[in-house]
Amino acid sequence: MSPGEFLSDRLGGLLLHLIVMAATGVFLLASGTESGVLVIVFLAWALVLLTVHVWDYLRLRAYLRELNAIMDGLDRKYLFAECVPRPRGIFQRRSFDLMRRSGKAMIEAVSDAQASQRDYREYIESWVHEIKTPITAAQLICRQTDPDIRRRLSRELAAIDDHVERALFYARAESHEKDFIIRQISLDDIVSQALDRHRALLIQSGVHIETNDLCQTVYTDDKWVSFMVGQLLQNAVRYRRGQDPAITLSACPLGRQVQLTVCDNGIGIPPHDLSRVFERGFTGANGRSRGGSTGMGLYLCRRLAGFLAVDLQIRSREGRSTSVTLTFPAKEDLSKM
Amino acid sequence: MQKIMIIEDDPAIREELALLLGNEGYRALTVTEFVNVPEQVTDADPDLILLDLGLPGRDGFSLCADIRRNSGAPIIFVTSRDSAMDELQALSLGGDDYITKPYNILVLLARVKAVLRRSESSADADILTAGKLSVSLTRGTASSGPKTAELTRNELRILVRLMDRPGEIVSREDLIEALWDSRIYIDDNTLSVNMTRLRSKLEALGLPDYIKTRRGLGYQL
Repeated sequence: MSPGEFLSDRLGGLLLHLIVMAATGVFLLASGTESGVLVIVFLAWALVLLTVHVWDYLRLRAYLRELNAIMDGLDRKYLFAECVPRPRGIFQRRSFDLMRRSGKAMIEAVSDAQASQRDYREYIESWVHEIKTPITAAQLICRQTDPDIRRRLSRELAAIDDHVERALFYARAESHEKDFIIRQISLDDIVSQALDRHRALLIQSGVHIETNDLCQTVYTDDKWVSFMVGQLLQNAVRYRRGQDPAITLSACPLGRQVQLTVCDNGIGIPPHDLSRVFERGFTGANGRSRGGSTGMGLYLCRRLAGFLAVDLQIRSREGRSTSVTLTFPAKEDLSKM
Repeated sequence: MQKIMIIEDDPAIREELALLLGNEGYRALTVTEFVNVPEQVTDADPDLILLDLGLPGRDGFSLCADIRRNSGAPIIFVTSRDSAMDELQALSLGGDDYITKPYNILVLLARVKAVLRRSESSADADILTAGKLSVSLTRGTASSGPKTAELTRNELRILVRLMDRPGEIVSREDLIEALWDSRIYIDDNTLSVNMTRLRSKLEALGLPDYIKTRRGLGYQL
């Protein structure tokens, strides 16, 4: 609060004083008071007025600074009203109490929403774990049917499992409690996990898999990254070309960082869709023409990558290829997370 | 016959697993009452335990610790929980391996085999023999009589898979899957190329028809 702002706030009161001063002057002069006395009276009056307002200004400025400091120091800003001292004036105190009541109601609403979000997430997590038991049982059972049916059924079961996995990671990505563990792991292991998980899909779609120089060490959560690589593999299979489809997974160090690139020779992404592929629910021209897109895979990849400080870039030439690059942070930079 | 104990509360999975392991030449023991599990384990004295972590009434982790107290059998955890925390906890409690549901059956069998092999004190045989051919796993060579041929990694894995069950037909899909287990990601075309090369090497060893093609079914030694 600058002195100018303060003065303009008090302008009405000060003007009133001036008018009363002028009226008193005229009255006192008319009633025969000596002008010397008048000057003394007015000086004393002005002095009192000045002292009161300067003191008021300093007090209010200090109070506002305290409030600002409290606000800056607060992690959850909506708890502000709970943390500041009550003002002194009766009017301020009443209006402050009203604000605090409204704040309290909002805090309750927020914590209710958080609790129900947490419950929902926990339910999704436990549901996902429950559903895996019948999926496993079904896979074991269909082993006894004839090979062709077995393969087709296991592919459908794998598709169910992929959807379930996306739901699980969606619940994880949208929640505020992050349960990843950063550790040292070889990219080779992460890629193998992902390839292994989607092997039925990859083998049956006849995609040629090539892995190059994956013996790089990264510091990340292997389950999360393996899920991300899995989404990229599924995309590469879904949007593969008819002849000799191939996916290349390669890694290379970039300074102290490590890059993993998943590149396919598929149908590519039209330039006007490319900037939007990470948006939630975006399926684009390819998704519309092929169907089966959820628009969630790349969205989840970007969310999860954000938490792990992994940089995610996509490049594509329509009709030729798509490549997605994950850049893993250097070990030293992880402490900033 | 090696005994594998299945501790799993879902009846469908339990029975199917028992059947599967039985077919693979193991003796499968199942636990159906989930009281006094550690005592049941001690009584049965299995060579390997497949332990589900989501048992009714009891936390699988504490159960594992109890079993460990009386039994030295290796334990593979089978679970649908897959957070990194669960895995660390499982392995720190004396689990030998950790598989998440839904598991690939071949992966499960491979893990079972690996853990059993590790727990056996004797080293696994390095030389595989079937018919006139013997294969050295460490040197990566195939030999018949005095003649020896060097094999590539892919050829070695293909041969090992076929020699695992001499006489049985192995489909192309099974071969591809077996190679994937060894992190060799080949597709159908690559398999054909490798098969042709492998056959010409075997022919040079004097075994022209060692691998027979069964049209529409697969390959057979």
